[in-house]
Amino acid sequence: MAEFSLPKNSRIQPGKHYPAKEGAKRTRTFHIYRWDPDTSDNPRMDTYEVDLASCGPMVLDALLKIKNEVDPTLTLRRSCREGICGSCAMNIDGTNTLACICAIEDCKAGDVKIHPLPHMPVVKDLVPDLTHFYAQHASIKPWLQTTTPPPPDRERLQSKQDRAKLDGLYECILCACCSTACPSYWWNADRYLGPAILLQAYRWIVDSRDEATGERLDALEDPFKLYRCHTIMNCTRTCPKGLNPAKAIAEIKKLLVERRS
Amino acid sequence: MAGTAYKIQEHKYDIVVVGAGGAGLRATMGLAATGLSTACITKVFPTRSHTVAAQGGISAALGNMGHDDWRFHFYDTVKGGDWLGDQDAIEYMCKHAPAAVIELEHYGVPFSRTDEGRIYQRPFGGMTTDFGKGVAQRTCAAADRTGHAILHTLYQQALKHDAQFFIEYFALDLIFDNEGACRGVMALDLNEGTLHLFRAHGVVIATGGYGRAYFSCTSAHTCTGDGGGLALRAGLALQDMEFVQFHPTGIYGAGCLITEGVRGEGGFLTNSKGERFMERYAPNAKDLASRDVVSRAMTIEIREGRGVGEHHDHIYLNLQHLGADTLHEKLPGISESARIFAGVDVTKQPIPVLPTVHYNMGGIPTNYHGEVVRKVGNDPDRIVEGLYSIGEAACVSVHGGNRLGSNSLLDLVVFGRAVAQRCAETIRPDTPHKPLPASACDEALTRLDRLRNAKGSLPTAQIRLNMQRTMQADAAVFRTEKTLQEGCVKMDAIFQSFDDVHVSDRSLVWNSDLIETYELNNLLYNAVATIHSAEQRHESRGAHAREDYPERDDVNWMKHTLVSVDANGKCSFDYRPVHSHTLTSDVEPVPPKKRVY
Amino acid sequence: MSQFRTPRKIALGLGSARHGVHHFLVQRITAIALLLLGLWFVWFVLRLPGLDHAGAHALLAEPCNALLMGLFVVAAFWHAQLGLQVVVEDYVHTHGWQLVLQVGIRLLCFLGAAAGVLAVLRIALGR
Repeated sequence: MAEFSLPKNSRIQPGKHYPAKEGAKRTRTFHIYRWDPDTSDNPRMDTYEVDLASCGPMVLDALLKIKNEVDPTLTLRRSCREGICGSCAMNIDGTNTLACICAIEDCKAGDVKIHPLPHMPVVKDLVPDLTHFYAQHASIKPWLQTTTPPPPDRERLQSKQDRAKLDGLYECILCACCSTACPSYWWNADRYLGPAILLQAYRWIVDSRDEATGERLDALEDPFKLYRCHTIMNCTRTCPKGLNPAKAIAEIKKLLVERRS
Repeated sequence: MAGTAYKIQEHKYDIVVVGAGGAGLRATMGLAATGLSTACITKVFPTRSHTVAAQGGISAALGNMGHDDWRFHFYDTVKGGDWLGDQDAIEYMCKHAPAAVIELEHYGVPFSRTDEGRIYQRPFGGMTTDFGKGVAQRTCAAADRTGHAILHTLYQQALKHDAQFFIEYFALDLIFDNEGACRGVMALDLNEGTLHLFRAHGVVIATGGYGRAYFSCTSAHTCTGDGGGLALRAGLALQDMEFVQFHPTGIYGAGCLITEGVRGEGGFLTNSKGERFMERYAPNAKDLASRDVVSRAMTIEIREGRGVGEHHDHIYLNLQHLGADTLHEKLPGISESARIFAGVDVTKQPIPVLPTVHYNMGGIPTNYHGEVVRKVGNDPDRIVEGLYSIGEAACVSVHGGNRLGSNSLLDLVVFGRAVAQRCAETIRPDTPHKPLPASACDEALTRLDRLRNAKGSLPTAQIRLNMQRTMQADAAVFRTEKTLQEGCVKMDAIFQSFDDVHVSDRSLVWNSDLIETYELNNLLYNAVATIHSAEQRHESRGAHAREDYPERDDVNWMKHTLVSVDANGKCSFDYRPVHSHTLTSDVEPVPPKKRVY
Repeated sequence: MSQFRTPRKIALGLGSARHGVHHFLVQRITAIALLLLGLWFVWFVLRLPGLDHAGAHALLAEPCNALLMGLFVVAAFWHAQLGLQVVVEDYVHTHGWQLVLQVGIRLLCFLGAAAGVLAVLRIALGR
């Protein structure tokens, strides 16, 4: 059965408190989920007071300030710091987003609470295990499939209109914010592909150059892989890049009906 | 804890690629397709690599948007590099560019299109037709997310060819045999904290640049020059490290990149008087002069009091006149970045920008096959057996003293492909692995043991900040003897201070504190090499602008700097001649002349 | 959950069932049908308070009402079965329970629909 409460060893305990340095002008408090697999301790919420006067504007800036100046053991993924690599996806104040483009002042009033992406196995602190997510991505054969050989010395042609169909799809950065915001993915991630992967699948289905449309639709026509989507729309609401995975999924469902009639 | 026996898991492959950015992925998929057993080790998931942030496009003389020829591209690249580039390698790159881009399209890259359905191309800085006479539209673009489109496509192709990835493995040190041939790499698996020895007949270093040696850069946090560190510690020399490109348009404050494509599409720079000052510095090319020229012009404007903003310390990039439709179709990504990081609505306001560290022309010296070379006696091109390098980590050298915009994505795919072909020619699949000397891994293990238990007084972040501030202040757009010498002294001291580093995290799993310390060590090697190289080159060429030596000096300095750094941070120098010949008779070498835009 | 299986093996699972469109379509068709029939049903129920047993019986026995009531019962149970099936698939992850519940729901819904139709027929056909 689906579990609706956390197992005993996953329950979050109160953690340490790190007050701001003396003379801090503008402090904001961050509660951050911590879990170290090397110990048998339960996860805890550590509290850090950060002086925003000497901190960049984004949540990632605050996290790195904590890591650099207060607690180097705080563990998170980060890379591009401009919202294009998808490394620093995490749950900030209850919403999955990228820490690097989430402004501290846009967070809800009061303390900022930061957790790893929901319902994923945690490797350490804010680092979730995305192995299964990536394997699901690979499972949809996310590459251009054709049987007609391409012209030997020039590109395949594509109209501007056909290219425009890829807008809103190819920009996906595989950050997993949408999939891990989806309750259906929480309960059935083992079999449901989730919004990110379905958006990727649709990106190839509508690509005018791809010749495996039928096989792609065949592979998706499954009560679990596709039809676990119950149009909850958390995916679209949370996407930090402003994409619309729910619409992509609806389009796949429409195409499946279309080829029947 | 010294002497703790570490358990090492051993893997055997024909080839190991370190890094999964554009170059590493292109090499990996190429190698996987040839049937060589290939492993790709990467410290971040492939699509998180910094190639993903490239915006403007990839250059190739396709001629889809007007008259073009790869020879023009060749000329522009030689001139853009201020005659420091090796012309044989530049010929190789520019000649193979159209095929490389068409290959990318065949792999599925979602390029923007023309009305005829061909790949859309935009103008870019320094790209001309008819040897400098006209403006070329040569940069193939997928809106302003070309790097993202290419990186994801290459990852997809790697999946298609069932390439074997080791994701979130950090390369600690290269492993050599007694003959000095590279035979593998030692890596740490972040997820389990276990050690892995990857044995191979060849190692391809594709680890990218070291922008994070500076305080303000467009580079990702992960651009830490790991390849340069690996090579220098192995006793190899790096080449042309003084050439660090400042991108004219990093967002003021945040440092995030705003593509040159903005100016390619018609955007322009203004100072506090609202003047289009580039007209004074580059009468022909104006805002589309090469990056070093524009960055210097902006710095001069700011220095002479014509900067904008409260502190008169930055410049405006105007694109309001392009109209919402063009911005939405051609430049959606930077519109979003400008809104998030500068609070600017690009349809109404200019973007505040500042020259920001962007690219390292220098790196591990290689030939145009991607084989690492070293100078032995009188032979400047002796191949280091088993070691290859590509991408920003390498110095082929196709970019010379200054890279043209959109030539880096090209560099990645052309030489990623070249190295795969070279390996396929020179390595037979499943060749047995010769035994390694018993002491091959000792140094790597000693270093790991030392860093894991480092109990000094300086946290990693503190040393890193000291380095970044020093590099930012003393190895900037303009350089003089005084600041460089001060910088060298400071950097030497900072390098030494690494002996006193403190690592707080003692755990095994995802010990990012330890990894950052390794990265810092790599950065320090690169930084010391950079500032000392800059100090010893007494001329101005490309991105290396010396106020005390304002002219280019082809008599004494038309040569590549080779810098080695020993374990104490002491630099020693040597030189390699620039290849002023071309590869074939298809194109004439371009003789040096004064570089004006 | 790995037990030495590769991530790809786990992600691929048993492959695509190649069905699901039918379920999707019927669920939507029955939903639309219920929406329309629901309007009629509300009208029908609102008429009942003013009628005694014989009157109600006669109202339902009218061919048009009998037909719509039959359709309403079938659509409602069909839709319920499809919906409950999804709920069980979502939340019940033990194989035994899955089987018991899915079969049970189908039988109960079929029973309900059959009983409903039989009742309407008896009324409509006058015995």
